[in-house]
Order: sequence, then C-alpha cells, then structure tokens
Amino acid sequence: MAVSPVTVGVNVLLLGALYAVVAIGFTLIFGVGGILNLAHGALLTVGAYTAYYLVNAGIPVWVTVPIAGIVAATTGVVLYKGMLKKVADNPVSVLILSLVAGLIVEQVFLVLEGAQPLVVPGIVDGGVAVLGTDIELNRLIVFAISWLVIGALFLFVNETKTGQAILATSMSRKGAALVGIDADRVFTLTWVVAAGLAGIAGVFLATFQTVTPLMGRTPLLLSFSIVVLGGLGSIRGSVIGAYLISFLDQITVQYVSTRLAGVSGLVVLVIVLLVRPEGLFGRELTEG
Amino acid sequence: MGGETSEAPTADEEFEERTLTDILDPRGFGWLTRLGLFGLLLLAVLPALQGYGFLGIVVNSTLLANITGAMFFAVFAMSWDMQSGYTGEISFGHGLFFGVGGYASAILQAQMGLDLLVTIPLGMFAAGIAGLLIGFPSLRLQGPYFSLITLVTPIIIIGLFRFAPDVTGGATGLFTETLTTGAVEGYVVALALFLGALVLFLAITRSDAGIVLTAIREDELAVEAAGLNPAKFKLFSFVLSGLVGGLAGALFVHTYAGGFVAPSDLLALVVSIEVIIASIIGGIGTITGAAIGGLFLFLFRVYIAQVDLTVPVIGVPIGEIYFLLFTVVTLVVLFFIPEGVITRILVRTRQRAAAREEEDGGGGGGGPDLATDGGWTEGEPSNLERIVATFTEQLRAVLPGFGDDP
Repeated sequence: MAVSPVTVGVNVLLLGALYAVVAIGFTLIFGVGGILNLAHGALLTVGAYTAYYLVNAGIPVWVTVPIAGIVAATTGVVLYKGMLKKVADNPVSVLILSLVAGLIVEQVFLVLEGAQPLVVPGIVDGGVAVLGTDIELNRLIVFAISWLVIGALFLFVNETKTGQAILATSMSRKGAALVGIDADRVFTLTWVVAAGLAGIAGVFLATFQTVTPLMGRTPLLLSFSIVVLGGLGSIRGSVIGAYLISFLDQITVQYVSTRLAGVSGLVVLVIVLLVRPEGLFGRELTEG
Repeated sequence: MGGETSEAPTADEEFEERTLTDILDPRGFGWLTRLGLFGLLLLAVLPALQGYGFLGIVVNSTLLANITGAMFFAVFAMSWDMQSGYTGEISFGHGLFFGVGGYASAILQAQMGLDLLVTIPLGMFAAGIAGLLIGFPSLRLQGPYFSLITLVTPIIIIGLFRFAPDVTGGATGLFTETLTTGAVEGYVVALALFLGALVLFLAITRSDAGIVLTAIREDELAVEAAGLNPAKFKLFSFVLSGLVGGLAGALFVHTYAGGFVAPSDLLALVVSIEVIIASIIGGIGTITGAAIGGLFLFLFRVYIAQVDLTVPVIGVPIGEIYFLLFTVVTLVVLFFIPEGVITRILVRTRQRAAAREEEDGGGGGGGPDLATDGGWTEGEPSNLERIVATFTEQLRAVLPGFGDDP
C-alpha cells in the first residue's frame, strides 16, 4: 500500500494542528489551575455529539462548530464549578473524579447512541489537487481554522489584559492576587477557553473520522504525550509537541504498522517522563 | 475482616501491655470484627454446603464460580489499595500487573510448554519486575507523573500485543492450560489466594511500614524530615502490590478464566478503573474495604446482568448500563463519603463505642487508628499531628536518642 508522501504530510500538518488545539486546553487547565483534567477527552466527545445531533436536526455543519464549542465550554464549567473546584486542593481526588466524570460521559453516549460509529459530514465538500494528490478540502479548512484558533489564543494570552491575567495567575497565584487579579474568575475563564477548544476540536475530528463514545480517549492520551513533551503548562511547547507527536504517529502508522497507532506517542511520553520530566520547553510549575 | 479495631498499632501507652494472645482473643473483638470473621468462615465452608439453600440462594457450582471470580477481583482491589490507597500515588493502570502476570504465565506455558507450577511463579515475578521498572524512575518524580505513566503503560502493552499476535494472541487472547478442573478446586485456589493476600496486606499495613506509607500520603515532606526516603517505601509497596497482583492474574487465567487470557479481562482500562471503583466504594487505604468492595462489585456486576429489568424513560436493560451506574455511584461516594462506605461505618462504630466508654467512666478508648482513617475523618485531631507523633515514638523505640537534643 503506497501512500503518497503528500497525504502523509497533510495528515501530519492537520492532525498536529488539531492535537495542538486539544493539548493547549489541557495544558492551560493544568498550568493555571493545577488541575490535571482527565475528562478533557470527554469534553471533545461532547462537542462531537453536539454536532452530530445538530446536523441530524438539519443545521449546517459549520454552524454547529461554535455551538459545540459553547456546549462543551458549559459542560467544562459545570464540571469545574460543581465538582473539581471543591476538591482542587487534593490532587488525588481531582484525578479520580475527573477520570470518573469522563467515563460517565462516555457511558451516557454509549447508552444513548450505542457503540456504532456515527458520521458527521465535512464542513465543505470536494477536494483539491496538491502536487498531484487529491486532498479533501475539508481537511484544509479544518487545518486553517485550527491555526486561526491557535493564533487567536496566542494573541489573546499575550496581548490582552485578561490574557495577561491568566499568564500571571499561572506564574504565581499569590503575585497575581497581590495586583488584584481575581483568581477564581481566571480559573473559570481558563475552563471556558479550554473546554470550548476541546468541543471545537471534537467537531473537526468528527468531520473526517467518526463519532463514537470512546473517541475522546486517543486525543486525551496524545495530549498527555504532547504536553509532557512540550512541558506541562507551556502553550508554545504544546504546539511544537503536537507536531512532533503527530509526525511520529503518522510515520509509524503509514510506514510501520497501523496496529501501532497511538503507541509511539505513548512510548515518547514514557521516555520523556523518565529522561526529562520537565519537558522540552518546561518551566517552573505554579507554586499553588 | 473489619479487624483493624483491635489489630492496628495504637499510639497510646496501653499498646505496650497488649500481648499477641490479647490481640487474638476473640472476646476482645468488636462486633464488626466478629462479623468479618464470620464472613471469612462462611467463605471457607461454602464448598461443603453444596446443594443447600439459604434465603433463596442455592449453593451450586455457578455460585461457587461467581464467588471465585469475586475473590480474584477482591485480590486485585486489595493489591491496588496496598499501593495507591496507602501511599496516595494513584495508579490508573493496575491492570498492567494482572495482565503481565497472566500473560507471562500463559505465554510461557503455551509457547514454551513449561509446567504451570513453574510459569505461575514466573508470572508473579514478571509482574514484580514490571513494577520495579515502572516504579523506580517514576516514583521519584513529584506531581502527577506516576499516575500518567501507569495510565499509559497498559495501553502500550496492549498495542505491542496486537503487534505480535503470533506470540500473544493479539486482541482476542490466547489459550493455555488450566490448573484446576472443577468449580470447587478453583474456589479453593481463589480462597487461599484471597486469605493469603488479606493477611499479608493487613500485616504490612498495620505494621510500622504501614504507618510510614500512610504518612507519605498525608505529608511526604514530614516523612523526609523524619529521615526516611519516601521513594523507597513507595517502590516497596508498588513492587509488593505488583507481585500479588501478578500472582492473582496468573492464577485467574489458569483457574477462573478457564485457561484463556485476553486483554479485556486483565489489561483493559476498564479493569484498572473497576479496581479503583471497588476500593473507593469500600474505602481507600483500609485493605478490608477494598476486599469487601471488590467482592461486592464483582457479584453485583454478575447478578445485575441477569436482572430482567428495563430502565424507564430510555428503555435500556439495567444489565447494559451497570458500568454507568457504578461510575455515577463512585462519583457520589467519592464526593460525599470520600473515606468510603466501610471506613465510614468503622469510624462511626468506633466513635459510638468511645462515647459509650466515656459514659461508663472508662477512659482510654481506641487509640488513633492511623492505618484506617488517615486523613479523612472530620472533627478529629489532625492526622498529620498524630502520624508525626506516632512516628517519632516508633523511631525512638528503634533508634535510641532520636529526636532528643544533642
């Protein structure tokens, strides 16, 4: 099975951008609030199913993208405010509660819709020829939007007052409090942004793969690898980590064996944790 | 079970006067301990009661097989509790140990034709070595890294198994020999493992090592300040838990599972999560809670699948959504009764007994039971204070002059 290098290249670029969107949210929640959110994959699933239900109700796919983001963001805030915030000082409870919450989301969709894969149509139809290889237009659109989102997030965090408040809180909660930043507001905002990004990524993933109750697991696991590789809490590291991981994963799948999908990323995770746990672009974690 | 009230080391002065005979004297047991011992006795004599029925439950080979599986599952849960429940370093992939134990034994038997009496211990040691390989580097790191590594290693192993289906049987599984033939024989093996693991874990967690492990969960810095290396104790509990989990996995494959090893039985994420759920419902950091939670969860799962009841509104059979029910129950338990159901009952009974004793004018009461209720009880003196105090006491006994002014 000869796969054109162009296809592999497009896949790497696309999945890298998509994983980066998921991983940035994951790393934001950890870097700012100190919460390792194991329900992050489930937020992605929520976004994907929202899109599926809306499309079935006759709404065009591109309209479902922001709606799915909002639904996932709401779910994330409910999860944080209703539960995780109250146990935030106990990392063990946070890990178990968020994991169980994620499982509940999976199980709910499993009961409602069953395990069979569901289809969400692409945002746009058709394809274009790139260097003699047909590439779905949908993939290019998803790639472009993902990068727009990442760019917007960079601008937001680095250039606006609110974004700087988020950065400040992640650097030092006490310092941020001293200059009058309301930490609680910042945490909630982080959850809105992160969960919203996960929901949008869920729709994107749904448009060129399928919707299943367990679809959030692989992105969650890859997010681990990505953020640990890039340094837990570093946005720039997440983007670079996402590209390294998606490159490695695609190379493994295309040229070694499809049965090893996802495994190479996890192997990288374990190696990085053992050799350089602070990650490639690691920085000091929050002082809590 | 429920024996910690009288067996646990206590920090007060009475401790020195209690001899082993005192501790083992059944007259001194609380009613919960007696209930637990009665339960164990019932488990032991159950095979002899075949054909009889109690309260509508008939003892037959199906029941024995179900309880066999439940006892294996309880050992899985206890091995998780021994490590994660006590040290607070949560392992999300204890299925790794069960899987490595079961697969190592099965592969050695099926591919190399070794005898089961050789492969089962080898499976156990393979799991212990896996624990060493994973624990040695990752337990030194602060933060959630240990949980992350344990979460992904079983997934990597499943991926590798799928990559080499000729040797491992891939995603479907691998056939191998069985150790036992009848339901009773399997039951006896499981019972021996269950009792052995229970006694071993209770003995260790109620010893000085158990106090150190609980102290690590409460405050690792305090343990370091006392001059002990937390990483060493954490690794000890992880490897020990791996050895027992691996043995349980290997025996499970060759008895209850009928000589068939599959990723979904041992390695899958669901297995690791169910083990955690069982321990949480029973009570983390108690061993007995994990044992009861494990027995309960397994039997509940088996019997709910047979219930012919459909949930109204959504019209789904209740047997299909048992995992959803369990996750929701776990969430509620974890949020509202974080110390677990068994622990809550124990603490309540003990408080009531202490109150009664006070009314009778008898002072003393039960000493702080560090190994069972560490960190979870509200309205009692800080566990950290008690742990550090106990700890200093214990160290003074071992190292004369510790803590004194130079």
